[in-house]
Order: sequence, then structure tokens, then C-alpha cells
Amino acid sequence: MIKIEQLSKNYRSKKALHNLSLTIEQGELFGLLGVNGAGKTTLIKILCGLTKKTSGTITIDNLNLDQDMDKIKEIVDISPQETAIANNLTVQENLEFFANIYQNNNPQSVQGIVDIFHLDEVLNQRAKTLSGGYKRRLSIAIALISKPKILFLDEPTLGLDVFARRDLWGIIKKLKGKMTIILTSHYLEEIESLCDRVAILSQGEILQTGTIEEIKTMTGAQSFEEAFVQLVERKNAQSV
Amino acid sequence: MHRAFNFFKRNLKEIFRDPVIYIFCLGFPLVMLILFYALNKFTNGNTLIFELQALLPGVMLFSYSFVMLTLGLIVSKDRQTFFLKRLYSSPMKVSDFIFGYVLVGVLIGILQIVLCFVAGLILSISAGVQFLSVGEILLLTLWQMPMLIMNVFLGVLFGTLFNDKTAPGICSVFISFAGILGGCWMPIESMGAFETFCRCLPFYPSVYIGRVITNAQNSFGVSYAFDNVALLGIVPIALFMGLSILLTVVAFKKNIVSDH
Ligand SMILES: Nc1ncnc2c1ncn2[C@@H]1O[C@H](COP(=O)(O)OP(=O)(O)OP(=O)(O)O)[C@@H](O)[C@H]1O
Ligand SMILES: [Mg+2]
Repeated sequence: MIKIEQLSKNYRSKKALHNLSLTIEQGELFGLLGVNGAGKTTLIKILCGLTKKTSGTITIDNLNLDQDMDKIKEIVDISPQETAIANNLTVQENLEFFANIYQNNNPQSVQGIVDIFHLDEVLNQRAKTLSGGYKRRLSIAIALISKPKILFLDEPTLGLDVFARRDLWGIIKKLKGKMTIILTSHYLEEIESLCDRVAILSQGEILQTGTIEEIKTMTGAQSFEEAFVQLVERKNAQSV
Repeated sequence: MHRAFNFFKRNLKEIFRDPVIYIFCLGFPLVMLILFYALNKFTNGNTLIFELQALLPGVMLFSYSFVMLTLGLIVSKDRQTFFLKRLYSSPMKVSDFIFGYVLVGVLIGILQIVLCFVAGLILSISAGVQFLSVGEILLLTLWQMPMLIMNVFLGVLFGTLFNDKTAPGICSVFISFAGILGGCWMPIESMGAFETFCRCLPFYPSVYIGRVITNAQNSFGVSYAFDNVALLGIVPIALFMGLSILLTVVAFKKNIVSDH
């Protein structure tokens, strides 16, 4: 589904991604894990066409990113790390706006999204007056309107309370298998409970990919958290 | 094209649900028009550039700088809230974005023009004098388009280049420019070298030709005529309008795939 080979990205002199290769299968829920500044958002932005890569080849659904970005844009959608909604529009108007852009003319599918995210009670409220959690929900709901084949969720549960977060986990689990989902998070239990496979990133490089169990076995660690800490610390020790 | 129109509708809602638009874009120009008109009446009407015919083209030009400010604000805020970033990953094209913003700007500008005419008509009726003819009104409206378009594009440009703290500052420079260098509030024709300078910029020529259309009189009591000042004035207007469109398109394209 997504094939990344030898991907590098430099922001002026800063290396954000370095020789990164990765394959993500169709229908997979793939987790990107890494400390702040590891390059997760950069990777997602490149895959969505929001940032240019420096070198490397990427194919998404058999489309080459360099030649077919326009086609790729029709099958991917992103819920950015920051909430991205139209503030002076109501929840309903926000959904309609994005439905129009992606030519989703099916009111039932939009209603379905409203139901999934429990947006019924705030449908006529201006987006800027929503609580942080609801803003986040709307922001993610919007990403589903395009019925993407591939969905990028950059820290979807950031700023959510425990209940809202569990709620969202449920939603993500329901989406599982219907589309390919790439998710980043700093909550290890979230990655553990949701993802089929994960990649651990540090300083723009992939340290390890595999299922949670595989990574635990490879490092010999008791818990996933311990495995993650070990891998990152080993990498830091190398680069000093 | 449906995406451009959809975006236009969103921008319209976003802007008209903010009270700022009514104060700056619609209220302020009206206040200026009425204020200078009243000032002139109370001082027995010897300041000819404050007569309605001369005042209208000036106030109109002045009001577009507020359209620029409004657009600068919405574009920079959309960028800052990542709303635009998200749309960049959608199938929307550069032209959809620019049309969506520009169309709202032009609409506000036309609203301002209509408002100025209505206010002018009411003032004329209450003073018992003849207002502009329908032909003059149409011609003046048409003549407003180049400067309106320039201001609208500049608004999008500043919003694209600067954040929502800096953009208003840059725009307010233009607001002062339009007022001072356009000769809206002072008799530039009697200022020698300063006049020559103003003729190289688009503001003064725009007001000048506007006054030709309305048969206004300058501060010497001479009627504005389509002379060399007017003719040569078309050059900076066309130049600056073209430049603002070009720069906006280039800047916006660059911004879509940027590192920031
Ligand atoms: N626009 C930019 N200009 C310069 N450097 C950048 C830019 N964006 C990101 N970087 C740098 O690239 C590196 C990777 O950043 P990125 O945002 O991808 O990290 P991340 O893994 O998403 O981190 P976080 O968990 O904090 O969201 C960081 O060192 C960051 O400082
Ligand atoms: Mg990030």
C-alpha cells in the first residue's frame, strides 16, 4: 500500500529524516512511535504532499508520489497534530464544507460520522465555542468525510481526557480494516492497544519495525515501554 | 470550480460572522464620508475637495484598504490554525484558494461602493442638490475595479507572507498610504514635487480619474479633466494591479508546499 525507500528530508541544514525505508500493508493500523522531534510529523506531511522530500522514492497505492500527487490527494486524508477546523462555522457547516470538497454527496455517510463521534448535541454550535475535546473530535471526524483509503492520525488523542481518549480508541478500532491507518502517539498503551505493527523512530531514522511482541522479543524487554526506552537510549549512546 | 465556490461560501460566513467587518469595512468609510461632508457644510462649504463629487472617489479608495486588512487577517489566521494546511492536502487547487478569497474581497468592496452611493444620495437629497447621474455612477463603479482588485490581492498576499500579528501592521501602512497619497483628504494638486511622487503610485491617479468621472473640482476651483495626469495615471494603476496579482499567485503557490 505504502512503500517508502531511502527517504531523506533536510530542513536547510537540519536532517529531519535520514535514509528511511518502510512498507505499510493495506488495511494495517500502523503506529509511529518516537520522542519529540523524531520526525513523525515530517514523515506524515511528506506522505500527504504538505512538505517536499529531499530524496528517496515513495509509492502509495501504486501511485508515484512525484508524478501522481493529485491522485494521491484524493485517497489520503490527515487529521493534523493541531486541530484544523473553520472556527466561525458550526459543526454541521464544517462537515458540509469538507463533504463538498471531497464530493461526498451521501448524507447518510455524513450522519454516520456524526453518530460515531457523538457530534449530535453540538451540531449547531460554532466550532470555536467547542471544548478542546470536541474540537479534536470534529477535526478527526472531518478526516473521515473524504472516505480515505489511507488515514493519517497525528497524535489524535492529544489533549483528550481519559474517557474521551478511550472513546476515540473505540472509534479507531471500528475503522480498523476498513482503511489503512497510520497513527502517531506518545501514549505507549495507546499504540499497544491499537496498532498491528509499529515503527520506532529516533533522530529521523527507523530503529525497529514489527509487532509489539516482536519488538519486545528482539530487545528482550519485559514491557513495550521498556523496549522503547532501551532502543532509543542505545541509539542516543551511539550518536554521542 | 465548485470547490472555489464552496470555499468562497465558507470565507463569506467566516468574515461576516465577525463584527469587525461591520465596524471597519462598512462603518468606517461611511463615517469618513459623512464626517468630511458635514465638516465642509459647517465651514460654509469652501473646501472643494470635500464636496461629495470629490469626496466619493477618495472614500471609496480608502475603504478598500480595509478589505485588504480583512483578507490579510483571515488568510494569516487560516494558515496559523492549520486550516489551510489541511486543505492543501485536499484536491483543492491554487486557483480554488485564490478565487475563494478574492471573490469575498470583491464582494465586500462592491458593498462598500453601493453603501457610499446610497449615503451620497441621501446627503444630496437632504441638501436639495442633484446627485450623480446613473451613467456617472456606473462608470465610477467600473473604474473602482482595478484598485479594488489590487487591494484584495494585496490582502491575500500579506496574509500569505505574514502572521496575524504582522499582517495588520503592514496593511495599516497601506491604509495611511491610500489616505495620504491618494489625495482623499488634502489638495495634492497644489503640492509640487509631492504631487509628482503621488502620480507614480496608483492611489492618486485612481482618485483623480474618479473625480474626472464625477465632474468634481479641485482646490483651485478647476474642474478635473481627462488630461495628461489622468492618462499617464493609468500606467501605475495597471502596473501595480498586475504586480499584486502576480506576486500573490507566486507566494501562494510557494506557501502550499513549504517547509513551514
Ligand atoms: N519547518 C521546519 N523547519 C525546520 N525544522 C523543522 C521544521 N519542522 C520540523 N523541523 C525539525 O525536524 C525534526 C522532526 O520534527 P517533527 O515535527 O517531524 O517531529 P515529531 O516526531 O513529529 O515530534 P513531536 O512528537 O514533537 O510532534 C525536528 O528536529 C524539528 O525541529
Ligand atoms: Mg509531531
